[in-house]
Amino acid sequence: MNTTNTPAHGEYKIPGGKLVVVDLSVADGRIAAVQVSGDFFLEPASALDDIDAALKGLPVSASQEHLATAVTAALDPDTQMFGISAEGVALAVRRALASVASEDQEATP
Amino acid sequence: MNRSQWQDHRWHLIHTQAQSPVLHMALDDVMLDDVANGVRPPTLRIWEWAGPAVVMGRFQSLRNEVDAQAAQDHGIEVVRRISGGGAMFIEPGNTITYSIVAPVSLVAGMTFEQAYEFMDQWVIQALAGLGIKAWYQPLNDITSEAGKIAGAAQARRRGAVLHHVTMAYDIDAAKMLQVLRVGREKLSDKGTASAAKRVDPLRSQTGLPRAQVIKHMIETFRQRHGGLVADTLGADELARAQTLARERFATPEWTALLP
Repeated sequence: MNTTNTPAHGEYKIPGGKLVVVDLSVADGRIAAVQVSGDFFLEPASALDDIDAALKGLPVSASQEHLATAVTAALDPDTQMFGISAEGVALAVRRALASVASEDQEATP
Repeated sequence: MNRSQWQDHRWHLIHTQAQSPVLHMALDDVMLDDVANGVRPPTLRIWEWAGPAVVMGRFQSLRNEVDAQAAQDHGIEVVRRISGGGAMFIEPGNTITYSIVAPVSLVAGMTFEQAYEFMDQWVIQALAGLGIKAWYQPLNDITSEAGKIAGAAQARRRGAVLHHVTMAYDIDAAKMLQVLRVGREKLSDKGTASAAKRVDPLRSQTGLPRAQVIKHMIETFRQRHGGLVADTLGADELARAQTLARERFATPEWTALLP
C-alpha cells in the first residue's frame, strides 16, 4: 500500500454546468487532503469547506455513488448549488483517484 | 418574500474614474453589505479599470487558472472576487464591467438560472438597440450568433444580491491565452476548439467607441427601469472599501485562498 502522499488531479465538466476540479493526495489508501475548485457557484461559499471535509478520509476505493452520498450528507439542506452537483464532484474525484491508480500500476514491474 | 419589480426601486448610478482591481473587489463587497443593510439604494455601478487584471472566481484554484509568471511578465494583477464563476481577463478599455446590487426581493421565487437571465434582460435590450441580436445562454453567459459577449456572476448576502458582468469590448485573445489556463475538459461540451474563438467582442459587432456603448446601456437601464439617479461613492463607503481592499483583497491569503 502507498504510504507516501501521492498528489492527483481530476477534472469534470458537468454537461450544461460548470467545471469541477479536484486536487487531492492519497496516503494509506485514503484521501489524505483534498481541494475542490472550479468556476461553479455555491451559496453560501463556506459550503465548499464542507464538501472538502466530507471527502477527506474516504477510501480510494470509494465508488462514485459513495462519494456523492458523502458530499450530499455533508451539505446543509439550504445550500444552493449552481453548475455543480454532488455527482459531478464525485466523478471528478474518481478521475483523480484513477490517475493515482494508473501511476501505481506503471510503477509496478 | 414578495417579488419586487425594477420600477419599485429608485436606482442609483455610480460611474467614477478608473479604480484599481482590488478596490473594485472591495467595492462590490461593501456595496452588497450596504444594500443588505438598507443604507445604500439599489445601484448600477459601471467599472473603469486603472490597470490590467485577471479576476478569478471565488472557488477557482489560482494555480489551475492562472499562469502566474505570464501574468507578472505582462504586469497583470491577479485578484479574486467574492462571486463564483470563471476567470476574466481585463485590460482597461477592453471590457465593459458593471455590478447591479439589489434587494433580493427583485429575484424572489426565481431559480438561480432564472435570476441570472432576469438581471440582464436590460442588457439584451440595450444590445438589440445597437443592432446585436444577443440572448442569454444558461447558466451565465450573454451570447450572440458570432460568439460569447459576456459572463455574469452573482453572490447573495442576507437580503441583497450582487450581479456583476464583464462584457468583452475588445480583446487581446493571444495575451488572454498566455495568462489564463483553459483546459480541454472545460471546453468539452462547448463544441468549440479554443477559448479565443468562443468570444466575440462588442467592438467588432457594433463599430462604436466603448464610451458610446456604455452610454447607450445606461440610457436603456434608465428608460426600462423608471429612472437612474446619478450618485457618487460616499467618503465613508470609499474609506471602508479601501481598508477592505488593503486588508483582504490585496492579500496573498485571499488571492491564493484556493492555491
